[in-house]
Order: sequence, then C-alpha cells, then structure tokens
Amino acid sequence: MTGIFLWTVGILAGLGFILALVLFLIAKKFKVEEDPRIDLVEKALPGANCGGCGFAGCHAFADAAVKAPNLDNNFCPVGGNEVMKKVAEILGYEVKQQTPKVAVLKCNGSCENRPRTNEYDGVKSCRVKATLYAGDTLCPYGCLGCGDCVAACNFGAIAINPETLLPEVDESKCTACGACTRACPRGLLELRNKGPRSMRVYVACSNKDKGMFTRKACKAGCIGCGKCAKVCPHGAITVENNLAYIDYTKCKLCKKCVAECPIGAIHAVNFPVLKPKPEAPAPEAKKEAANE
Amino acid sequence: MSKYTFPIGGIHPNDAKFSKGCAIEVLPIPPVVYVSMAQHLGAPAVPCVAAGDKVKVGTVIGEPAGFISAYIHSPVSGTVKSVGPRKDLAGNNVTHVEITVEGDEWEDGIDLTPDIVKEIPSDRAAVLDKIKKCGVVGLGGATFPAHVKLNPSPDTKADCILINGAECEPYLTSDHRIMIERPEEIVIGAAIMQMVLGGCRCVIAIEDNKPEAIASMKGAVAKLGYRNMEVLTLKKKYPQGGEKQLIDAVLRRQVGSGALPISVGAVVQNVATALAVYEAVQKNRPLITNTMTITGDKLPVSEQHNYLFRIGVPFSFIAEQAGGVPEYAAKIVSGGPMMGKAIANMDATTVKGTSSLLYLSKESTKRKEEGLCIRCARCAESCPMGLEPFLINRVYKAGDLAGMEKASAQDCIECGCCQYSCPANIPLVDNIRMAKGQVMAEIKKRRSNGK
Repeated sequence: MTGIFLWTVGILAGLGFILALVLFLIAKKFKVEEDPRIDLVEKALPGANCGGCGFAGCHAFADAAVKAPNLDNNFCPVGGNEVMKKVAEILGYEVKQQTPKVAVLKCNGSCENRPRTNEYDGVKSCRVKATLYAGDTLCPYGCLGCGDCVAACNFGAIAINPETLLPEVDESKCTACGACTRACPRGLLELRNKGPRSMRVYVACSNKDKGMFTRKACKAGCIGCGKCAKVCPHGAITVENNLAYIDYTKCKLCKKCVAECPIGAIHAVNFPVLKPKPEAPAPEAKKEAANE
Repeated sequence: MSKYTFPIGGIHPNDAKFSKGCAIEVLPIPPVVYVSMAQHLGAPAVPCVAAGDKVKVGTVIGEPAGFISAYIHSPVSGTVKSVGPRKDLAGNNVTHVEITVEGDEWEDGIDLTPDIVKEIPSDRAAVLDKIKKCGVVGLGGATFPAHVKLNPSPDTKADCILINGAECEPYLTSDHRIMIERPEEIVIGAAIMQMVLGGCRCVIAIEDNKPEAIASMKGAVAKLGYRNMEVLTLKKKYPQGGEKQLIDAVLRRQVGSGALPISVGAVVQNVATALAVYEAVQKNRPLITNTMTITGDKLPVSEQHNYLFRIGVPFSFIAEQAGGVPEYAAKIVSGGPMMGKAIANMDATTVKGTSSLLYLSKESTKRKEEGLCIRCARCAESCPMGLEPFLINRVYKAGDLAGMEKASAQDCIECGCCQYSCPANIPLVDNIRMAKGQVMAEIKKRRSNGK
C-alpha cells in the first residue's frame, strides 16, 4: 500500500518538475522583450480602460506613450494633468498642460420645456429610437432620453433625471473620456473646458430648425436670433443654421450673452450668485417682449 | 390548395382583410397639398418650381437628382405657395412643395378618358423614357424607381417578370381592390413591362386568400390574350410579397446575399406599379395618385375605406374624410402592421408609396415586457431568409461587428417574423436592423477602400 502511495507521489512530482522545466525553458526562449517602462506607465494610469485617449485601453496607451518621441499626441483625459505629470516623469518627457474638460449636454428639452407629442413604446435605446423617427417631441435634434450615454459612461457620472428626463452629468465624476459623446446618436454631448472654478457658459440647445419651428417644439430652444453673437465682445459666438455656438476657447465668461438671450437657451453654470442689482430687470422685460 | 410558396420560414398572422369589400372611392382634394421631394428610394428630387409659380395637374415640380431618383409631378392645379422643409411622418425635415389648390386643370396631353388602350407600343426606349418622365416608382413598399429596375444592365437577361399581387401584409386591401376593379389596366401594364424586358414570361402571383382578385385577373388575362402570361395562385404565407420570397415561391430560384433579383433572371413589380405603368405609357398620366386603405383592428367595416388619393394630401385630412381618428387608436401606422411605419405626425402628407392608414388599438400594439431568450429557436424557424435572429441579436449586443457579418445581419429583410414569433417578446428586428446598418456601413467602407 505504501509503495503505491510513494510511487504516485514520486511520479506526479517528477512529472511536475519536468513540465515546469519545459515551461521555464520555453519562456526563456520565446521571451518578448518589453520596455519595463510600459508597465510603470500603465501602473500610473487610472486603469479604467475607457478608451478616452483614443487607444484600446491603458496598456495600449502606455505602449504608445513609451514609443512616441514626445507626449504631444498622447493625453489621458481621465487622469488629467496630474497623471500625465507622473507619466512624463517616468519617461523623462515634457508634458503640455491641458485644460480639464467636462461633458456638457446641449439640450434643455425637459418635460416642461418640450411637450411630448406621442408615446414611444419601442426598444429603450437612443440609437434604435433615432433610426425610427424624430422622437416623441416635435424637436428632431434634441435628447431622446433613453440613456445610451448613461450606459456608455464607465464612471457612473451620468444619470437620467426622472423629472426632466434629461441626462445630467456629475462634474465630480466626469473624466472627459468622451464615451458619451460617441454614444449619443444626435451628438448632444460635447466636451468643453471645465473653466475656472468650473464656471462655464454654453448654449443648451442643438436645434437647427428655423425659429418658428423651434418655438413650437420647445420653450428652451435656440431660435438663432443672433443677439448673443452681436453682444459678445470677444467674438466667441457664431450662429450657423439657426443655432448659436459658443467657442469655449474664446469665451471670457462675461455672461453678456446670457442676459441677452430672449429664450434662456444660454446656460451659465457654477457662477457665484450675485446680489440682484436694483436696476437690472432688463433681461426679464426683453424676455416678455420676445414672447409677445 | 396551391403548392406554390417559399420553402423556409414565414408566419401565418391573421390576415384581417376587413376592408376587402369596400369599393375604391375617390378622395376629395384638400385646399392645400404638400408634396414631399423624398418619395422614392435614392436621392431626393430637386424642386424646380418657386413660390408664386402656377402649376397644373401633372406639371413637373421635382427633378431627379441622380441615377436612382425620380421625377415628381404636381398632383393638383394651383399656385405654389412655398418650397421648404416640413416634417414627414417620422417628424424629420424633408423639402416639401406647398401648393394652394385652384380648380382641377390638367396638363395638355394627359388622356383622362376611361377608355382602355390595349395596343402595346413596341418602342422600348420610348416606353422606358415615358415611365421615367412620369415618375413611376415601385409601389410595393420600397419605392424603387421603376425605369431603373426595368432597364437591367446589358450583361444580365430577365427571363421572367413577376407581378406581385401577394399583398401578404395583414389589413391592407388596396392591391386587392385594384385587382378586382381595374384588372385589365394592370394586365396591360404588365404586358408593357414584359415587352420592355424583351418578351419574357410574365407571372401574376396572387395569394389564395384573395379568390375574387384571382378570378378577376384570370378573366382579364384570358380576355386580353397576351402571350406568355399567366395568373398563379400562391399559398398564403407572410412575407410572400418580399421580392426574394416571391422569386423563390414562383421560380424556385434563390437570390444570393447582396445580389439583385435580376441575377437570377427575375424582375418583380407590384400590381399597383403595373397600373401606374399603364397610366404612364397608355394615358400619358404621371404617378400622382395611388390607392390606400383606411382600416383598423376595431374599426367597424362601415367606417373602413379604400381611397384613390392624390399624393401630397395630409394624413389628418384623410382621417377627417374617413370619419375622424377613432377613439381606441393607440398607434397609427402607415403601411402594414408588420413593416409599416408609425405616424408620429398626422400633418405629414401621403407620398407615392403610401398604402394605408391603420388604426391599431392598445391591446394589439403595446409592447409586452421583454423576457429572456430560452433558445426555443422559433425565430430561426420563422426567418424566411434562413438567418438565426437570436444569434444576431446576441452578437449585436456584444458589439461584435465581425460576428454580425458572419451571422449575415446584412441579409435581413426586416419582415418582423422573428419578433412576431418570439415568446419572450425580445425586440429582435429592432436590434437586427441596427446590426444590419452597422454591417452595411462596414461593407460599403470596405468597397470604397477596395476601389
């Protein structure tokens, strides 16, 4: 009995040793030489494999960063400047500081602003809905509300607000990887500069219809009147196809356009609340005038 | 019982042809019509009139913008009020020509007499030109320009033209009615197309749930006595009216993946197209009217209609003429219940290919909750293209483009059989349509790279 036991243990141990030796030799022979810095860089990266940098994942990015002559074309939007500084240290490169960005929804068609004209009963996917028809409102450009962006976000930064049925971006979680901008079939999400102390001004609308049709579809839609472009002292605003766009690289956050917009389609977020000046009801009056 | 049908897949929904007894009525003309410039497959037409222009019935108002495109004619006489974007039935902006109706004056040269012209012209090029100039498109659903289909490239040869009277979609009866009421005109139209294709065999295929139409068409064929033409009875099965299914059913030939019917020597045209060809060639009358069915699952038959309408009439006007939108209607569909499009905008207007206004109740249209796939393979059994819908659905969800192509998502005809037969209510067609779009884009990209 003991003999069988010993034989078994002996044979298995011997087999294990021989196979281990084979594996060891093969590993030696076919070893892929990889720059050790790739591993170091990968460790410094956030490891979300989101693809926001344009590469398949963090390893692919690290590989590209190590092989590139400089870091001009490689930037990890998720890690931001801090992570890139570490990467640059490892590789001995210089890194250009990039302004942090955040995803912004260019639609304000909440249930209140944009009445529903029909009920959608199909697959809960924006992509499917967009191929079927213009959506359950009269605006063929606005948010479809099925949450493809929510599903695309790897960081849990987007959630649909049950009251407005619009997605909301949580700035503290958004890493500007851009997955949502690619997921939205209508291209409503845009990566914009986060701005100083997160202050931003943007047009929360994407409707390219003529003003008359936009007004019918949505109370908060840009009618392309061009008042904002005229009032902007920095030439940051262009109106094309009945839609205003604010170039965030030129915008100086003066908020003149916000006051001028008769619709309230231009949103200024995270600005400190100022005490109301006594002689400042002008925008209100204009709003009413436009409504009449 | 006929033995002719396509061999694989297919379903047998209740055909619900309630309105088959309703004779065709002529729909009055509304005070204003809006004529869409995107009424056919291919490039939208370019409007060639401007606000203020006077037009008569049959005046060209849109010119083709490419090889696969078609002429569009004014369906009414009056003044052009505007040319600009307007929302179509899906709510998307499409260029429309708005015409204020004044009287009913027709262009010169259009034969308005009811006499039937039996003489078949023999000048092939002239006939094709007439079909093109009259803006005839396929009225079976896809609205493919007829002159393109009837003029196959010289290295291919058609040996059979199939006149499609299957009307396999439930509810629709417009083709049924024209086969009963205007059989001779259809047969002459078919004979003209037969001549254009070089005197090949002509088969008029009708499903066996339309015995009156079969009798009427057989009578017309016997009376007119054209050579090489027959009426064939098909066993009722959806989607028999699909081009590839019909060819398989009648000729037992299979059209390959990505190939056109002409590759197996067949051309398929709808009965309504044959009628339009007749009117274009014999009467010089452009395609400005078509027949549509007003029906619904709970609509009393007395309120159902088959209308001869002018294109460009708003759906809201038609609904009003037919007695208003019934209260039970939860979903309004243009086209059949299987492949038609839901109307999101009742102010949208009819186009050449409009075949119905269908009021469906909540019970028959509300989607049921999606369950899990239990691999019962009913979808695969019902697929007339021999695909595996559950597999395409799965690879689509995984985002596996190569897998979608391997599973032949591009060959889906979007007939809806899989979704109809799925016991778990999985939205198979919706997902497969998305997969098909992705694969087609990829194939197109590869082709343009290869060139």
